[in-house]
Amino acid sequence: MTNTYITNATWALTGEKIDLRMGHGDEPVSIYRNGIALPGINQVTPAGEMQVPAGARTIDATGKILMPALFDLHTTISIDGHSKRECIYRAGQAANRGGVWGMLVMPSSGFIFDNTATLDSFDEAVSQRSFATMVPAGCITEGMKGEQQAPYNTLAARGVTILSDSGNMPASLLMLHRAMKYAAEMDLTFAIRGDVPCLSRNTYMHPSSTSYILGLHGTPPCAEEIGIETIIRLAKDAGVSLHVQTVSTAEGVEIIRRAKAAGMKGLTAEVALHHLLYTHEDVGDYNTTFKTTPPLRERTDCEALLAGVKDGTIDCIVTDHTPCLPFAKKQDFVSAPQGMVGLDTFLPALYTHLVKPGKLNWADVVRACSSAPVKIVNPYDREEDVPVVAPLLLFAPEEQQVVTCESLCCGTTNNPMLNSTLYGGVTLPINR
Amino acid sequence: MNPRKDLITINSLSDEDIHTILQSTSAMKDIFTKSVKKVPALKGKSVLTLFYEPSTRTRSSFEVAAHRLSADVTTFTVSTSSVVKGESVHDTIDTLMSMKMDYIIVRHKNSGIPAVIARHCKAAVINAGDGSHAHPSQAFLDAFTIKEKYGEVAGRRVVIIGDILHSRVARSTSTILRRLGAEVAYMGPGPLVPPQQHTGIPRFTNWNQIFEWKPDVIYLLRVQNERIDTPFFPSADYHAAFGVTEERLRRIDDLNLSIMHPGPVNRGVEICDAAMNYRNCLINNQVENGIAARMSILYHLTPQTQSHD
Repeated sequence: MTNTYITNATWALTGEKIDLRMGHGDEPVSIYRNGIALPGINQVTPAGEMQVPAGARTIDATGKILMPALFDLHTTISIDGHSKRECIYRAGQAANRGGVWGMLVMPSSGFIFDNTATLDSFDEAVSQRSFATMVPAGCITEGMKGEQQAPYNTLAARGVTILSDSGNMPASLLMLHRAMKYAAEMDLTFAIRGDVPCLSRNTYMHPSSTSYILGLHGTPPCAEEIGIETIIRLAKDAGVSLHVQTVSTAEGVEIIRRAKAAGMKGLTAEVALHHLLYTHEDVGDYNTTFKTTPPLRERTDCEALLAGVKDGTIDCIVTDHTPCLPFAKKQDFVSAPQGMVGLDTFLPALYTHLVKPGKLNWADVVRACSSAPVKIVNPYDREEDVPVVAPLLLFAPEEQQVVTCESLCCGTTNNPMLNSTLYGGVTLPINR
Repeated sequence: MNPRKDLITINSLSDEDIHTILQSTSAMKDIFTKSVKKVPALKGKSVLTLFYEPSTRTRSSFEVAAHRLSADVTTFTVSTSSVVKGESVHDTIDTLMSMKMDYIIVRHKNSGIPAVIARHCKAAVINAGDGSHAHPSQAFLDAFTIKEKYGEVAGRRVVIIGDILHSRVARSTSTILRRLGAEVAYMGPGPLVPPQQHTGIPRFTNWNQIFEWKPDVIYLLRVQNERIDTPFFPSADYHAAFGVTEERLRRIDDLNLSIMHPGPVNRGVEICDAAMNYRNCLINNQVENGIAARMSILYHLTPQTQSHD
C-alpha cells in the first residue's frame, strides 16, 4: 500500500514503502500505531485518501528512510585560509551533505565566544551564510586561556547553554571548581574532555606498537581517565551539569557508567565517530589524517565505546569535525595539527560502518546523533521564541558515493573516508 | 634490483638491499687501505647535509664518505638559516631543490621529517636520524661491525642497554640485526624501555638477566638528556644499576663479550673509563665502518635527478 505523507501543504511524500526511523525502536513505525508526532508532518494517510494540495511538490520516497536530521554536538569551524563567512558557509554545506541540520560550534581561535560581540557577529554570519543551525558554545575561560572565567551570566543571557574551552581542561582545578559552582546557578552545562595536561604534554598518539615503530611519544590512557574522574567529581560537588567530550578509552566509559549508575544527575558523554572505527594501526606510516586528540586507541577500546553507545552510557556520537589546511596536514606527524573532518560524510559513514554491519540500529543512531544531542543543547529560536526542532531527512540506503576531494564541501580533505565508498544518499531538507 | 631513491628506515628495505649495502661496505672499506682514498663513483654529484639537530660524528662521517666518492658536499647550517626565522621544511626544501642537489642527508628532531622531504623532492634522501624514529646508516655500520667481528650476524645475541624509548639507534639497529638473523634484547630503566608487547623484543631489567641470556654483544646507549623534560629515573642510580662498571667489565672480559656504543659516550654514566680500552670494545671500529657504510649507502641510492644521458 502506498502511503502519502503531507506536510505544510508544500510537499508530499509518496512511496510503496517508506521506512520511518524515529528512534523509538528498530522496527519501522507508523504514525497510526504509535501516535508519534513527527515534526513538520501534518498527516499520514494511505494513498488516495488524501488529496495532494494544489501546488504541493510530490517526492517519491520509495525505499527511502524518513528520519530526523542529525545534530552534531562537537564541531570546530577552523579558519582554514578562508574568511570566517566562507568557513561558516562551507561547514553548513558539509553538514547538509552529511545529514546534519544543526551543530554545537566549539570556540576556536577564529571564534572566541567569550563576549556578546563575537556571538552577535557569528550569529549574523550564520543567518546569512549557513545551511545549518549553528549553536555556539561559550568559553569556560576568557580567550580560552584557562585563567579567568568568561562572563557566564552575559553569555547565558545571550542564549548560551554549553560552556567549553574546545575540550581543553583548564590547568587550574581550583579555578574550574569555582567556575562550576558559579555557573551551576545558571543552568549551564560544562563540556570538557578528560585530560591531565601534564601527562599528555608532547605526546602524539596512543602508546602502542605503532608509536614504538614510529618513534612517537604516547598519550597514556590514564591521562584521560584521571581527567574524566576529576571533572566528574568537580561537577558533582559543584552541582553542575557535565558533558564529557570525546571519550576514547574503555576505562573512561566504565568511569562514566559507574557515575551514572551511582545516580549522578546532569552527566552526559560523547564519543567521536572516528574513535568507534579506527585504531592506532590506522596511523600507519605517519598518516597525519589519523592524528587526533585524544588519539586513536586499541580495537578493544572501540568495542567498549560502542557498547557504551548501545547501553546509553555514551549519550552521543559526534563528528569532532576539525578542518585543517591541506598544507598543515602535509607536514610531519609531530608538526601537523590534530583533527579530522566528518560533517560531509556523517550519516553515510554511520550507516556504512555501524548500521549496515549490524553494530548499531537506527534507533541508536537517532538517539545518539539526533535526539540526545538536541536535548543536551536545547537550541532555542530567539526570534520566533520557540525551541528549535529537528527537521526530517530522507536517506536512500542503496545509493553509493566515492568520497573524493571534490565531493567534500568543507574545504579541507582531512577526512579518513577519503577515496572509500560509502552507502547512502542524504536529502536534507526533504524537499531540497 | 629496482633502483632505490631514498633510505628512510631499515623496514623499507628489501633483504636484497640490505645484503647489497653490507657487501659493498666491505669493498668501500678496502679503499681506506689504499694510498689514494678516493674513487670517482659520485663525481659531479651534489650532496647536501641538512642537520636540524647538532651532530658532529654522523655529519662528518657522511661528509667524509661523500668526499671519498668524489661528490661535491654542501653543508646547510640550520642555526644561521631562515629555518630559525620560521621557514617550514617544505619551503626550505623547495629552495634547496632549486640548487639541484642529488642527495640530501637530513637529521631532524621530529620523527618522520625525512619521509616528508623524500616525498617532496627528487633528490635521494638519506635519513641521518629523525627524532626517536630511525637511524638506518647507524644500523648498517653496527651490522657490518658485528659481521666483521663474528663472520656472521645470524645467531648472535645483542643486548641494547639504556634509553630505548627515545632511541632511534635501538629501533634501527635492532631491526637490521633481527632481519639478519640475530637475537636482540632490551634493558634499561623501566620508564625508558617500552613493553615487549609493543616492541616484540624481550625486555630485561637488570644485568643478572642479561648474563643469564648469554649475549655476544653489549650495546650501550647514551641517556639522551636533551630529549627528557621531566626526569624518567633518578640519574644518580644509572651507572650502578645499568652502566658497565669495572666489576661488570671483568665479567664481560671473562665471557669474552664485545662492547659497542653509537657515541658520543658519557664516561662514568653508561660506561666506565676502563671499558673504553677493553680489548673487545668495538667503538672505534664502529666509527671507521660508519664511513664505509655511508659510502655504500650513497653508492646504492639513485636520485631521480639523474637524466639518462
